[in-house]
Amino acid sequence: MSREATADALGLHERASATPERAAPFQQAALGDAPAWTEVKLGLRAQQEWFAAIVSTAQDEPAPVDQLSAARLITASATLSSLERIDIYRRGYHARLIECLLDDYPVLAHALGEEAFEALCRRYIARHPSSGPSLNYFGRHMADFCRAQPLPEPGFAADLATLEWAIVLSIHAPTAATIGFEDLGQVPSERWPGARLSVNPSLKILRLGYPVNAYLQAYRQGKPTALPAARPTSVAVYRTGRSVWRLELEPTLVTLVEALANGATLEAGLAEVQASLAGVPEHELAQKISHCFQHSVSSGLFSSISV
Amino acid sequence: MANRFKLPNLGIGLGLRTKHYGVILEQKPAVAWFEILSENYLRTEGRPLDFLDQIADIYPVVMHGVSLSIGSTDPLDRVYLSELKALRDRAKARWVSDHLCWTGVAGKNTHDLLPMPYTEEALAHVVDRVRAVQDFLGAPLALENPSSYAEFAGDSMREWEFLGRLAELSDCALLLDVNNVYVSSKNHGFDPLTYLDAIPFDRVVQFHVAGHTDHGTHIIDSHIGPVIDPVWQLLAAAHRRSAGVPVLLEWDAEIPSFEETHAEALRAREFIGAAA
Repeated sequence: MSREATADALGLHERASATPERAAPFQQAALGDAPAWTEVKLGLRAQQEWFAAIVSTAQDEPAPVDQLSAARLITASATLSSLERIDIYRRGYHARLIECLLDDYPVLAHALGEEAFEALCRRYIARHPSSGPSLNYFGRHMADFCRAQPLPEPGFAADLATLEWAIVLSIHAPTAATIGFEDLGQVPSERWPGARLSVNPSLKILRLGYPVNAYLQAYRQGKPTALPAARPTSVAVYRTGRSVWRLELEPTLVTLVEALANGATLEAGLAEVQASLAGVPEHELAQKISHCFQHSVSSGLFSSISV
Repeated sequence: MANRFKLPNLGIGLGLRTKHYGVILEQKPAVAWFEILSENYLRTEGRPLDFLDQIADIYPVVMHGVSLSIGSTDPLDRVYLSELKALRDRAKARWVSDHLCWTGVAGKNTHDLLPMPYTEEALAHVVDRVRAVQDFLGAPLALENPSSYAEFAGDSMREWEFLGRLAELSDCALLLDVNNVYVSSKNHGFDPLTYLDAIPFDRVVQFHVAGHTDHGTHIIDSHIGPVIDPVWQLLAAAHRRSAGVPVLLEWDAEIPSFEETHAEALRAREFIGAAA
């Protein structure tokens, strides 16, 4: 089991008041066939609904307004028509949200390729428009969304999105101190069986159908990547201080951590581990359990111990 | 005192960007102040706040938001306002700013700074909302003139008149982005000095400068690259009309090293004098 640092940027979701540069490349906006506005004066609410409807229309669809109606509400400039001016906002809207999703899912973007990822994002934006002031959780539906999309291997894409989203969540989870063996040494041995360990609040244990952590690691290291065959894996994603970690978990460790996370005492958690190791020779059993426990503590999976 | 709100002239500051966190925390460079993007530190309990706490312990911080949506016809988001207030208190932010714009309607957020129609109806609407926000925050709100790419046919006044009247009627502060004045002047064909002449400078608590991208038919406020000379000249013109206002450089795309970014910000001294 190796614990790998996720070499993501120091902070995700950096927002700015700038207009995305991709708002600029210009194509003639297609004309829409929505009803034309005949009123010259609209109230503020109606103008905003009209403007927002155009801006949020997918770029590969005609703007839901014709040139004449657009000119009734937006003036032309010396160089751009009314619809072209509105289209700057439409392009900016999609570019900004695609940038956000790319920020969350750089490895998924790599796996799908730029064109397919952008197409996926455009469908995502249409299906899950943002409704809040923050974009921190805008990408939260991506894994489920991928499963229902016409992708070459939707299960792989969904697992990869699950892993990348867990990284995002760990960044935004509360920062907590982690305990080590020196902390455990403070607990009298007779009280160990009843001790309870609380897990790191950023911890997510993922059960995945594809070895996407290895894929992600290869991408991060600049190594060749290829669509892997399905193979169940479990990965812990969590943060200690500024570092986000990905740790592939053996089944015994999953059993222990999940038991402790659910409130089991140390004795009960280790008993579950022992039960999961049925068939393992007696002389190996103690060593495996000890290794499992030591590994979970030294990896920073726990934040406190109570007796 | 630089302005009617008695907010300090902090000097020349920088927009805080994640790329520079490491240098800032390790080297603690001499920067007068940082402006944070408020939304980068909202709806999180984790690492972004860890960095902010450390930086706010060392440097003066000002908050700049993009989601207030002061011009929207949707109700004000009270939860967002509460979060904004809590963040201000946590970071000990000197003031809070956002944009004269709307970002969405009917419950959806485009996360873009969409243009306002400049009408009496819109003015009355925004004045009421600015007052409500200021009452909630218990402090003046600074509103920034946005870059815009479209103007409404039904406008009954120009942006500078709208902004000036809004400031007077709501008693709000202004964040004057001279790059935005320049960008909009090119996109809409007006004299930027006419814009400056209409601004009540006793209400201006901050200037913004930034780079942009000229596409020939229009200019995009991309915050890419160094500030061009006409924008610096516009800063100088704005500075002459003021009694001393802090200057902030925004650089949001293809962000260079901290040293290069800071050096670009400090170029402001050439145009407003070494006293800043």
